[in-house]
Amino acid sequence: MKFVICLAGIFVFMIVGNPFAVAGDLDRFEGVKGTLRIAGGTAHIPIMKEAAKRIMAANPDIKITIAGGGSGVGIKQVGEGLIDIGNSGRKATDDEVKRYGLKMFKFAIDGIAVVVNPENPVVKMKKSELIDIFSGKINNWKALGFKDRGINVYTRDASSGTRKVFWKKVLNKGDITKSANFVKSHGAMKSAINVDPYGIGYISVGYLDDTVASVSLDGTSPTLENVLKGDYKIARGLYINTKGEPAGLARLFIDYIMSKEGQKIVEDKGYIAVRK
Amino acid sequence: MNRFVEYQIKLFCWISGIVLISAIGIILAFLFHKGISSLNFSLIFGETRPLDGLLLRNEVFDGLFPAIVGTLLLIFTSIFWAIPIGVASGIYLAEYCNIKWKPLFNLMLDVLAGIPSILVGLFGFAVSVFLHKHLSEHIYPCFLISSLALACLVLPYIIRTTEQSLVNLPFFVKTTGLALGASRLQNILFILIPYNLSRIISGIILAIGRCAEDTAVIMLTGVVAMAGIPNSLLSQYEALPFYIFYISSDYNSQEELMNGFGACIILLSICVFLLTLSHILKRKAAIRFATHT
Amino acid sequence: MKSSIEKLAEKGFLFSALLSASITILILSFMVFFSFPLFKGGDIAAFFTLEWNPYEGRFGIIPMMVGTGIIASLALLIATPFGIGCSAFISVFSTGNFGKLLRKVVEFMTGIPTVIYGFVAIFLLVPFVREIFEKGTGMCVLSASIMLALLILPTIVLFISDAFNSVPKNYLDAADSLGATPVQKLIYVIIPSAWKGIISGLVLAAGRAVGDTLISLMIAGNALQIPRGLEAAARTLTAHIALIIASDYESPEFKSIFVCGLILFFFTTLIVLVLRLLGHFEVLRQR
Repeated sequence: MKFVICLAGIFVFMIVGNPFAVAGDLDRFEGVKGTLRIAGGTAHIPIMKEAAKRIMAANPDIKITIAGGGSGVGIKQVGEGLIDIGNSGRKATDDEVKRYGLKMFKFAIDGIAVVVNPENPVVKMKKSELIDIFSGKINNWKALGFKDRGINVYTRDASSGTRKVFWKKVLNKGDITKSANFVKSHGAMKSAINVDPYGIGYISVGYLDDTVASVSLDGTSPTLENVLKGDYKIARGLYINTKGEPAGLARLFIDYIMSKEGQKIVEDKGYIAVRK
Repeated sequence: MNRFVEYQIKLFCWISGIVLISAIGIILAFLFHKGISSLNFSLIFGETRPLDGLLLRNEVFDGLFPAIVGTLLLIFTSIFWAIPIGVASGIYLAEYCNIKWKPLFNLMLDVLAGIPSILVGLFGFAVSVFLHKHLSEHIYPCFLISSLALACLVLPYIIRTTEQSLVNLPFFVKTTGLALGASRLQNILFILIPYNLSRIISGIILAIGRCAEDTAVIMLTGVVAMAGIPNSLLSQYEALPFYIFYISSDYNSQEELMNGFGACIILLSICVFLLTLSHILKRKAAIRFATHT
Repeated sequence: MKSSIEKLAEKGFLFSALLSASITILILSFMVFFSFPLFKGGDIAAFFTLEWNPYEGRFGIIPMMVGTGIIASLALLIATPFGIGCSAFISVFSTGNFGKLLRKVVEFMTGIPTVIYGFVAIFLLVPFVREIFEKGTGMCVLSASIMLALLILPTIVLFISDAFNSVPKNYLDAADSLGATPVQKLIYVIIPSAWKGIISGLVLAAGRAVGDTLISLMIAGNALQIPRGLEAAARTLTAHIALIIASDYESPEFKSIFVCGLILFFFTTLIVLVLRLLGHFEVLRQR
């Protein structure tokens, strides 16, 4: 008898439980209508795009718009009420949280990698060397064993969360040279380094691929495993911010990102999921 | 003058002509060489079936379709705002305005015509922030704001062509209607404007071209990287020129970059088509003008 | 009845004209409104300093002003000789089809979207410039100036060749009867009598060069320095507005872009006034 019940239980689980757990993550959007405006950190864009695509394909009544702009935008614009969900690659400061009444949801962990052109053989550096490069003290690749050419430093603008984290954790809040070139997003950083043999910059680990070469810092290379183990220290959380407690579509969207399927997207795009 | 110097001057003129033509030639050749292979249905419709996309049955995700539709909608809406105001202002300046006020109007319009488009965008953005704070929480930088800002940008074009086409009419055309007992308004609406309609339309088409190509204004007023086809005036949207700008720095793969080249070719085709249309109409107007005087 | 419609229509026309003209004033007042707190607080001097570093509370926009000035004047410097050369070719030496072709090409150029110039430049001109200098990224003052020169050439050529064409025919006939060659006609007759047109074309082109956003945003590198060479990266006022627009509305950074806006606005007004001094009352030209 016990056996039969057990079997029946397994049977029920297989028919009912299992499909719910896997395919049901999008069901929450059933019958919902509306528009969701997302903007902010550019490391988040691949995740947001994929999630939006799936949601909109499942429910055409929902419209999700995605813009970049950087973490600063994600925090400020959501605070001003210009968007529903603001992404940031850094924690909002206490002042920002207080001023806007922000709620933060950490949904992924990301590392920041220093990158150079694939032609560049200098893929190992010390932190102190990096500080000198970004401050402009070392300005020729020859000093590091590459060609006798100037180093082109690329950096992000002030609204970038990546820049803030990089500046704090790698440069120890040191200066960035004034001749640094400014780019507006991770994608832009990657494509700039890809076409510039003498460039150096920093991007999210999720964006790494063979178009750029990542630089190992003090012997640790910026891989997901190293970030996960805690060996690679330049990591940060990716946050979704809302003004006050999220409601309606924003709530559903955050739930979806936190769901199994949502976290699977996070992993597929090269970041570390916060929920396994 | 020295023969040699003369020769040199002539040579320089030849060289500048050749340099200019070859520069444009190289740009176009590069664009088509890179982009022609990406021109196919999947560039526009992504993975969605073209017919489903066109009929709006399925949302298009990885294609240019939403951007193309966004640009076209933007053009129509902006022109929809700009034409009535522009033509009416043109009529006023040509037929009604007294001589004392005209210089002031002209100054204002000339400054407006010369203002960098990014300033018009900044203006649109500032207005939407202002309205958001003081009028309604539901106003953001959006399609409506973009189209209004673009309308401001192209207004001077429409006003000027309307005004010029009315002012430059031959005397007998201006007076025949009046002599037959038509009122001033009737004369304008039924004789003067139809008489030179193609010239006014060519001005409008030039304005459309400006709307199609402008990036700086929309960049500040609500265009985003991904939005689908806008479903209301208050939603954000995608547009071709912004897509090109975005891809130029944000491409993630060679494939995406090639799509950027494809988008360039599409945008260029739209703009060149409009330009040619405007030239044809202008020439038609000129011929008509010549035969009547 | 009829007259009331007439009156209504006239009111409508007047209203439209007032509306159009007021847009200019409205733009100005919004710029002033948003940057006003700075003027009042006496902080305005802080903007006209050499360093932009929001982390340390420095908001100097002089590097951007200098960047704009250098890039625009270099573009004008490149474009002017070519522009005059092409115009002379079209209006004076064009005996064959080549002159007509050139005019067609120039007209065609007015239809090319700016963003396409920028896009092509990133993949064609920038790598080339980088290899020439053997230093820097190629995203620099020179690249931006070259593309900008190409962008403003149609304005210059169309304007100047029109000015050349409107030289009174009896002047040319007189020169012809004295046995002048085409080059002599150009140097001694056409250019002296069309100089106002030439200057106007250049002034107008200067306005376009300063006002353009996309080229400098895409290929000038946007660095926060006063460029010290052709291969150095720089940021223009227009690109600065586009880059900073997304920051905190209460911050001095955000307000500073309205100061940039005001500068650009006054520059435009200046251009319009100069053109009027030169006798051109119709500033508008198809791009």
